[in-house]
Amino acid sequence: MTRYAMVIDLNTCVGCNACMAACAMENQTPVWKNKWRTYVHDKEIGVTDQVLRRFFPRLCNHCANPPCLTVCPTGATYQRADGIVMVDPERCMGCRACAMACPYDARYEVTYADIDTGKAFYGAEDLQRRVPSMDKCSFCAHRVDKGMQPACVETCVGSARQFGDLDDPNDPVTHLVASGIARPLMAHLGTRPNVYYIDDMKRKG
Amino acid sequence: MDTMSYTTQDLWTWWIAMYLFFGGLGAATLSISFLSDMFCRPHRKLVLWGALSGVVMLGISSAVLFGHLLNHVAVINVLNPLVLFRQPHAWIAWGTQFILWMMVWGILYALPYMRETPGFLKLPVVGRLLQGPFVAWISHCCEKRRRWVGWLATINGIGTAVYTGLLIQSFPAVALWHNPGLPLLFTVSAFSTAFAYLVVLMNVFFPDEADDDIRHRFERFGLILIATELVILFSFFNYTLSGSESGYRSAQLLWHDMGWLVGFIGFGLVVPFFIDLKGVIKGWSTRVPTVSAALLVLMGGYLLRHYFMYAGVYAYPW
Repeated sequence: MTRYAMVIDLNTCVGCNACMAACAMENQTPVWKNKWRTYVHDKEIGVTDQVLRRFFPRLCNHCANPPCLTVCPTGATYQRADGIVMVDPERCMGCRACAMACPYDARYEVTYADIDTGKAFYGAEDLQRRVPSMDKCSFCAHRVDKGMQPACVETCVGSARQFGDLDDPNDPVTHLVASGIARPLMAHLGTRPNVYYIDDMKRKG
Repeated sequence: MDTMSYTTQDLWTWWIAMYLFFGGLGAATLSISFLSDMFCRPHRKLVLWGALSGVVMLGISSAVLFGHLLNHVAVINVLNPLVLFRQPHAWIAWGTQFILWMMVWGILYALPYMRETPGFLKLPVVGRLLQGPFVAWISHCCEKRRRWVGWLATINGIGTAVYTGLLIQSFPAVALWHNPGLPLLFTVSAFSTAFAYLVVLMNVFFPDEADDDIRHRFERFGLILIATELVILFSFFNYTLSGSESGYRSAQLLWHDMGWLVGFIGFGLVVPFFIDLKGVIKGWSTRVPTVSAALLVLMGGYLLRHYFMYAGVYAYPW
């Protein structure tokens, strides 16, 4: 079996936002309304000369127990055998329950107006989307299926993002997760996320 | 990763509060009307008013949700009852089916009464339909199996009222919503507002002294449910005061808001509670206080859902 996961090292993310740009171009996201499949938060932590600037990339956590999937009334949200949580735009009626259920703020709306704008922005012939729906990161499943890395991982200049298979004991991602260095976000919610973070505060302290 | 940020949401706002309010009110109105008709005594006007206004409320509720969908065509995926086998864990799927079948069984239960009401028979298209052989046959079947139809409508009605709470409960990130108390609170509120609505109907639209027994029973049930709602809200207050930052921030939003404190708790619950308490113990010389209290309860029913939607706080680890 394969169980895809991502590890994000907050120590090496420099906040260049190349991941956001690469993802937007790859997945044609509605950037004109500041909606992204992956987003890098820029936050200042601390006071006076102890201030630390943190860049915090976030995306769909492809949970093993995804609340967005359980609330989806149409079955538009589904999970592949390799753990990637997908959205079928044709089945989605856009009730937004998935966005309400997601603890990681991973979902956003794509409306009819966005499709019209998208035709002008990405090109009418190149735009993949035909119907409005809720949208989110797919771990670039179309690239992964061809043996490629997700666009955000491939473009990351600081190698802050690593993508791998947790069921492969030799995968570096498996080692980082098994060692406990990389930890999931809000594990107490029982969502069993498959995106893990290496904390920056402990190393800098 | 330990630095959190907190925010409310702007996806499900006043319109989902309308959906939850009219869904719960409509469903509970139908259920109470039919249960009264089956187990108190047959009451044509109560059933007709209850069933028709209940169906209209459920229609408004569904229309509000439908109007806010991103892709209206894809709604076909939840209208098919087989959706319950594909998505048994999705409460919207259950709610859609409850609402649809509630409307169907509601109309069927009221059908025999409609056929014996001159007002309906005089209506241009409806009158001709009601007198047609097909509708007459359906009406006869419903009359023969009156209890079955009534129970099917009631079960779907209770299901709808409970569903409005379960839907919001299924969002795990928000402490105010994701707890076992919410479905209970919304169910109690749905039936409380439905009793209030029926009290208004029976005092204003078809007042009849022969119905005093039913009306007083509704007032008593309404009073008990307001008291129950106050107890549940008090336990919510205690629950959100500690245990999670999300819950604590929701408590701060709610209990520092005059609309919640004065509008909902004060005029939506406490004031009608005391008006109804005096009405039940000593009675009122006019219908005005009772009707006023019922209208306040209805306003409170909407405010509860409105404030709950706006006060849900998400905790993000960035």
